[in-house]
Amino acid sequence: MTADPRRLAPREGHMPERDRPRADARAKVTGQATYTTDVRRAGMLHAKVLRSPHAHARIVSVDASRARALPGVHAVLTRDEAAGLAPVGTFVKDWPVIAGDRVRYLGDTVAAVAAVDERTALAALDLVEVEYEPLPAVTDVGAALAEGAVEVFPEPPLGIVPHYGQGASGALRPLPNVPYEFRFTMGDESAWDECDHVFTDEFRFSRMNHMHLEPFVTVAEATDEAIEVWSAAQSPFPLRRDLATVFGLPENRVRVNVPYLGGGFGAKHGIRAESVAVRLSQLAGGRPVRYCMTTEEVFLTSSQHAAVLRYRTGVKADGTFVARSAEVLLDGGAYSDLSPLVAEKAGYRAAGAYRWRYLDSVARAVTTNTVPASAFRGFGGTQATWAGERQVDLIAERLGMRPYELRLRNMKDLGELYAPGETPIDSDLKEGLRIVAEAIGYADRDRSGNRGMGVAVGIKDGGGVNKPAQARVKVTTRGDVLLQCALTEMGQGGHSAMAALVAEVLGCPRERVRYAPIDTDHSPFDQGTNASSGIAVMGSAVTQAALRARDAVLQFAADQLGGVDPAGLTLEDWTVVDAAGERHPLVPWIMHTFGGTGFEFTGEGFFKATNSDLAPLEAPCIFWEVGWAAAEVEVDPDTGKVTLLQLVVSGDAGRVISELGARGQDEGAAVFGLGQALFEEMRFEDGCLLNGEALLYRVPLAEDIPERFTSITQEQGHAAGPFGAKGLAEGTMLPVAPAIAQAIADAVGAQLTELPMTPARVWAALRAREASEAAGAPAAG
Amino acid sequence: MTQPDEQTTVRVDVDVNGRHHELAVPTSTVLSDLLRDELGLQGVRTSCERAVCGACTVLVDGTPTASCSTFAFDVDGAAVRTVEGLATEGALSPEQQAFAECGGFQCGFCTSGMLVLTKALLDEDPDPSRETIRAWISSNTCRCTGYEMILESVERAAQLRAEQGMGARR
Repeated sequence: MTADPRRLAPREGHMPERDRPRADARAKVTGQATYTTDVRRAGMLHAKVLRSPHAHARIVSVDASRARALPGVHAVLTRDEAAGLAPVGTFVKDWPVIAGDRVRYLGDTVAAVAAVDERTALAALDLVEVEYEPLPAVTDVGAALAEGAVEVFPEPPLGIVPHYGQGASGALRPLPNVPYEFRFTMGDESAWDECDHVFTDEFRFSRMNHMHLEPFVTVAEATDEAIEVWSAAQSPFPLRRDLATVFGLPENRVRVNVPYLGGGFGAKHGIRAESVAVRLSQLAGGRPVRYCMTTEEVFLTSSQHAAVLRYRTGVKADGTFVARSAEVLLDGGAYSDLSPLVAEKAGYRAAGAYRWRYLDSVARAVTTNTVPASAFRGFGGTQATWAGERQVDLIAERLGMRPYELRLRNMKDLGELYAPGETPIDSDLKEGLRIVAEAIGYADRDRSGNRGMGVAVGIKDGGGVNKPAQARVKVTTRGDVLLQCALTEMGQGGHSAMAALVAEVLGCPRERVRYAPIDTDHSPFDQGTNASSGIAVMGSAVTQAALRARDAVLQFAADQLGGVDPAGLTLEDWTVVDAAGERHPLVPWIMHTFGGTGFEFTGEGFFKATNSDLAPLEAPCIFWEVGWAAAEVEVDPDTGKVTLLQLVVSGDAGRVISELGARGQDEGAAVFGLGQALFEEMRFEDGCLLNGEALLYRVPLAEDIPERFTSITQEQGHAAGPFGAKGLAEGTMLPVAPAIAQAIADAVGAQLTELPMTPARVWAALRAREASEAAGAPAAG
Repeated sequence: MTQPDEQTTVRVDVDVNGRHHELAVPTSTVLSDLLRDELGLQGVRTSCERAVCGACTVLVDGTPTASCSTFAFDVDGAAVRTVEGLATEGALSPEQQAFAECGGFQCGFCTSGMLVLTKALLDEDPDPSRETIRAWISSNTCRCTGYEMILESVERAAQLRAEQGMGARR
């Protein structure tokens, strides 16, 4: 019987590949790596899209006749050519291929053209005449939920609520402009009676753009019978399903190819450029159509969720946490897309790293006439951590306690349940906090000169909900290995890590393992590259596939050796070593048995957490992803400018598969947190995005990284993934903004509750602080 | 290929990665399109297309230049170096070797630009301070790494170049 991949130990107590450069290093430093932007097909046309200038309007008429007549134009897509195409979305399906009776945000898709080149397509768009009748718009959460607000979708929603377990529930359209609501409850509500203090605070979370450098880009070849796309897609199989649904085709007539991705961070999960390119290709008689968005269009297609979070928290006089009630409003933008799932996670993660006797949460996705929000690194967890960690600091101040001690007092222990039916916490949370505090010198910090420090922790259920993954390992006659699975490579080093797992099991150098191109016709099924699931979910399937391939080889060898027990054989670089230590090269045996062309040994792997009604979210999570951060700042009280002097972050890899890979994930995620903390924000005015391009939208540059920026990859060894590994990539984003906020309070006493913490906001918080102190009032929230 | 309107072309003589080209180029063509579409140098990546992110950086007579926002006719008579021109006979350049070794890349989309930027920096200053490296690298965007491993890669590249006896620009 094949061993359980989740219980394996590396052979010499150490993964031999862990110190090596990534497998994709050479392709990427030579410029040879192929992305979807590089895909060219014979006769390929180029698409451009006409976008709505209104946040909300009825489309009175669309006349594209002059565009169709322009030489070089091969297809024009308006609502007339989109009749019968189904809308998409997770749980709630409301996003059409192209606007029908109305546009719902400034940037909504109104018409599209495929022409011989992009210039011609753009020229044709100028010839499309659209008459709009503007409608009142709801451009933020408050406006959308106001009494009598205009309904962005007056018709009943098309959607479903998944089968939740213990304590969790969902509802479609419980209120106008709320497509989805998630609720979670655990514990005994009478716990509120034991509270000595109850504090209610409101926190605001800003909206970032993913700003992946490779835009949304697709090349499509499609007829009414079949579709093939090459696409910058994080999740090939969900894309296949969505395209089959939209175009009413069997799934086996939709083929998705995914080259390297130039970044994703959540944005590339779901239909982006694909459906427009597919429909235009159909209209152009099956000619290939490339649709590559500009950065400005990317900004108008997907974003993070802005949020308003109200946390009501009851504690005992000694600082023991007792009960919490959380209300979360997420700005989902104009279409639901993944907002229901983000609401689910933002609500579920309201407990944070702490122990509660009672908790309830409600998280609502709210429709507004703004850019649709979707998956974004952190996925509701960043929002929950901002509110939760910030409120711990506010409570500490009110109780006259230190933020660090209040955290330790209430933090869950290793092995403690997050919720009934869940996977026990698989990291020592307190140990991690101690490590970052020590690394930054928190205990002996010097607070002179308006300097201060803060520490924070964020946790999220990792590995995705109810997520199956399959993998196949094929080994040729000569021991060359082909790994087939659909984990996309978007920078995280997933392909390299998967190859390292296979190499470890087969006892061969990683160079012998080739990661096959991803193609849904041939790659085994996978639910998508998301939720930091690569190592723990796909890694388990890949490891099992490698083990089965190895076992098939060893069984073959055992037969060759006259029926010895295969358990006594080992495989070392395509040579079998028997119990007596004698070495047997495999090639002669294989040639003798199977003839001239030889043979392939194949192993299939599968992994999925077992469903359980006891688990709140369909199945227990695969692991707990944890990020710890410590920050030191200096604040200029006259201007409110915050200078980040030090940033220390840490994640728990369980066991490291690749040093460079693990470190890169922790540092990259932390710098997303840094941007969110201090300056990154999509700014809207009346539904119009003011900074939707690279120059005005500020992302962190090297000069924004503090002189001392340290990441510490912990290997606590409690995880259940292959070789004891678990996922990274999102964890260290969670605690960065709260740690910086605490450091600001430590430095100058200003308590920030809204992101980003711009000089203007810090300055305002300082003035509010001074005013309340002058009035003799207790510290304000 | 049909064009909707007539396009004026100009002659551009340019040396790209040590190879001479005599081309007739439409006046509206930008350098990144010339390199990617006409010369097949797809290692040149384009992203923001307004000279902000630096993904499309190439060296024009040794100077880091945003190829997305440079007209092709502007490189007439110049020498252009792209990421494809860094390795010699299959051997990685010190910059490439350092980025591979130190994990100075993730998705790879900024990497071509970062590599030629690093080469230009080290040609100018073979032993740059951390501060100098930070200032140079701040002209390009990387959304994946958080930069620290890129800064280390540049330091390592300087070390490798010193070991290989490569000094400042000759």
